[in-house]
Amino acid sequence: MNRASAQRARGMTIRRRLLLILIGPLALLLAIGVVLDYAAGVVPLRAAFDQALINETLAAAAQLRARSGGTVEFDLPPQAIEMLRADKYDTVYYLVLGPHDEYVAGDEGLPSAAPDHENPTFLDAQFKGSAIRGVTYRHAMPAGVVTITVAETTNKRDQAWHRMLISILLTDTLQFAAILLLIWVGVRLGLRPLIALRAQIDSRSAQDLAPLDETHVPGEVRPLTQALNRLFATVRSNAQSQQQFLANAAHQLRTPLAGLQTQLELLRHDTDAAGVRERLIALLEGTRRLSHTANQLLALARAEPTATAAADFGDVDLRELAEEAVAKHFDRALRQHIDLGVEAARARARGSAWLLREMLANLVDNALAYTPADGRVTVRCGVTADAPAQGYVEVEDDGPGIPPDQRARVTARFYRPPGTSGDGCGLGLAIVDEIVRGHHATLEIGSGANDRGTRVRVTFPAA
Amino acid sequence: MRILIIEDDALVADGMRRGLSQVGFAVDHVPSAELAEAALQQENFDLLLVDLGLPGVDGFELVRRLRRGGKSTPVLIVTARDALADRVGALDLGADDYLVKPFALPELAARCRALIRRSKSNSDSGITIGPLHLDIPRRETRVQSRAVDLTRREWAILECLALHAGQVVSKDRLQQAISSWDEGITTNAVEVYISRLRGKLGDDVAIRTVRGLGYRLDESVA
Repeated sequence: MNRASAQRARGMTIRRRLLLILIGPLALLLAIGVVLDYAAGVVPLRAAFDQALINETLAAAAQLRARSGGTVEFDLPPQAIEMLRADKYDTVYYLVLGPHDEYVAGDEGLPSAAPDHENPTFLDAQFKGSAIRGVTYRHAMPAGVVTITVAETTNKRDQAWHRMLISILLTDTLQFAAILLLIWVGVRLGLRPLIALRAQIDSRSAQDLAPLDETHVPGEVRPLTQALNRLFATVRSNAQSQQQFLANAAHQLRTPLAGLQTQLELLRHDTDAAGVRERLIALLEGTRRLSHTANQLLALARAEPTATAAADFGDVDLRELAEEAVAKHFDRALRQHIDLGVEAARARARGSAWLLREMLANLVDNALAYTPADGRVTVRCGVTADAPAQGYVEVEDDGPGIPPDQRARVTARFYRPPGTSGDGCGLGLAIVDEIVRGHHATLEIGSGANDRGTRVRVTFPAA
Repeated sequence: MRILIIEDDALVADGMRRGLSQVGFAVDHVPSAELAEAALQQENFDLLLVDLGLPGVDGFELVRRLRRGGKSTPVLIVTARDALADRVGALDLGADDYLVKPFALPELAARCRALIRRSKSNSDSGITIGPLHLDIPRRETRVQSRAVDLTRREWAILECLALHAGQVVSKDRLQQAISSWDEGITTNAVEVYISRLRGKLGDDVAIRTVRGLGYRLDESVA
C-alpha cells in the first residue's frame, strides 16, 4: 500500500469501512451457502432418479424366463420395450446378458457395472458418445446369474442439476443483495446521530465557542464531544480572562496618560516662556505618541483570535462603517488639507462591528499619515461583481504609494517602510491584518487609480 | 454651564476641571458615585462627566440609577475602557456620548458643548454655534450681530445642521428636512441651498462638505 492509499484508508468514512469489512466475509458465506444448498439438493434428487432406474430394471428382470438347456430368454413384448425406452428427455438403453455373459437382448456393447457387494450396482460411463447413468442388477436364476443393465443418458439429471443450481444462486444472490441493502440502510440509520453532529459542527462559525448540543450524541462519541466542549470552555474562559486583562491594562495605561496629557496641554497654555513652551509641546507630542502606541498595542492584542473568540459576530453594515470612519477622521483631514470622502454602495459582511471599525480607522489613519497636503483619500465599500457577490471595503489615497517589493512586509508588526516620516508606530497594518484574518477575509495592497498612491482592499467571504 | 466631573483619578480630574474652567464652564468634581449622588440631590448640573471604573458604585450603576430616578441630565462617559461591551452598555443605559482616554482637551470641550446644546435645543429658544445664533421660535438667524435673512428651506437646512453641529449630516437627511414642502427635491437642490447659505452666512460660519456623505456645521473656523 503506498502512502496515498494508506491515507485514504485512514480517512475513510465509517460507512465505507463497515461495508468494506462486511462485503468479503459475506461473499464467502454466499459461496459456501451455494455449495451446501447444492449438495443438499443433489443427493435426494439423484436418489430419486436412481430409484426410478432401479424400478425399471427390476420390472425388466421380472420378464426373464429360464429356458430348458440352460439359456435365458428375455420375454418382453414390444410394447413393454417401448414403455421401457420411452423417456421424454433421455435415451434409455438396456442389456441383458446370460449366465456366461452371452448376449440375450438389448443394446449390444452397453457397459455393465462390475460385480460389487451391492446389488443393484450403479455405474457412470460413456455410451454412444454421451454420458450415461446406469444400474446393473444381477438376477439369480436357476440357470445362473443373469445380468440386466438399464442405463439412460443424463440430460434429465443435468437439467435438474442446472435448474437447481440456478435457483440456489438466484435466491442466495438475492439474499446477499438484501443483506447488503439492510447493512447499508442500517449503517446509515445508525450513523445518523454522528452525521447530525457533523452538521452541527459544520454549521458553526469559527468564532462560535458555545458548547455542542449533546442530547442526541451516541455514547460512543460522547467522550469526543465532551472533550470538545471542555476545550471550548477553556478557550472561552481564556478569551474572557484575556479580555479582562486587556480591559485592566487599558485602564491602568490610559488613565495616567490622560492625566499627563491634559496637564501638559494646560501647562502649555499657562506658560509664557518660549523655551519652556517648546519643551512642553515636545513632551505633549511624546505623550501623544505613547498614547497612540498603547492604544494600538491594546487594539492588536484585542484583535488576536484568542481574544476575538469571545467577540460577538453579527451582520455588519459596511456602508455605515465606511461613513462613520470618514466622519471620525474628517477633522484630521481638514487640518492636513486632505480631501477625505466616501464612495459607499450598499454592502454587508459577517463580522465584529467593533473590530471592523478599528480596522477601517487604522486604514484611514495610515492613508492620512502618508498622503501629503492637497491629496485625496477615499473610503469605498460595495460588493464584488463576481458570483457569489462578496462585500468589500477599501481605502485609496494618492500619496507616494507602497513599492511592490514592500507590500508583503508592511503588515509585519512595528514595520515601517524605509524613509517614512510621521508618528506611526508601525502597528496599524498589523492590526488590520489580524482583524482581516479573524474574519477570514482577504487583504490586498495595491496601487490606486492611474497607478498612483495606495489602495488597500479587504474582501469578505460571501455570506 | 455647570458640569460635574465624577472621576477617581486626581490627576485626570484636575486636568479636566482646569481645562473646562478655562473655556468657560463652571466645574465641580467628586471622586465617587456616592458623592455624586449626594451632590445631584442638592444642585443642578447641565452635564455629568462619568468615569466607568469608579471605586464602589461604578459608572454603569450610577447612570442606571440616575436614569431610573428620572434625571435627564446629559451624561458623557469619559473612560479608559473602550471594549465594545462597555461602549454599548453605557449608551444603552442612557449615557449620551462616550469619550475614550486619553483625549485632547479641545475635543472634550467640544463634546461637552455639543451635548449641552443638544439637551437645551429642544426646550430652549436658541442655538449658538460660535458666531452663529439661531432663534428657533422666531426663525431668526444672526451671525455675530448681523441679522441674516433666510428662505424657509435655507432655514430648515441650517436648523438641521445646527441641531447636529459638529456632526456630519447626510444629504439624504437634509433633503428630508426640506421635502415636507416640496416633493421631488433632488440632492442637487441641497447643494444649491448649501452654497446659498454659505454665501449669506459669510466666512465666519463653516459649513464643510464631507465628500460622498453630507455636510457638517462647525463650531469654529479652524
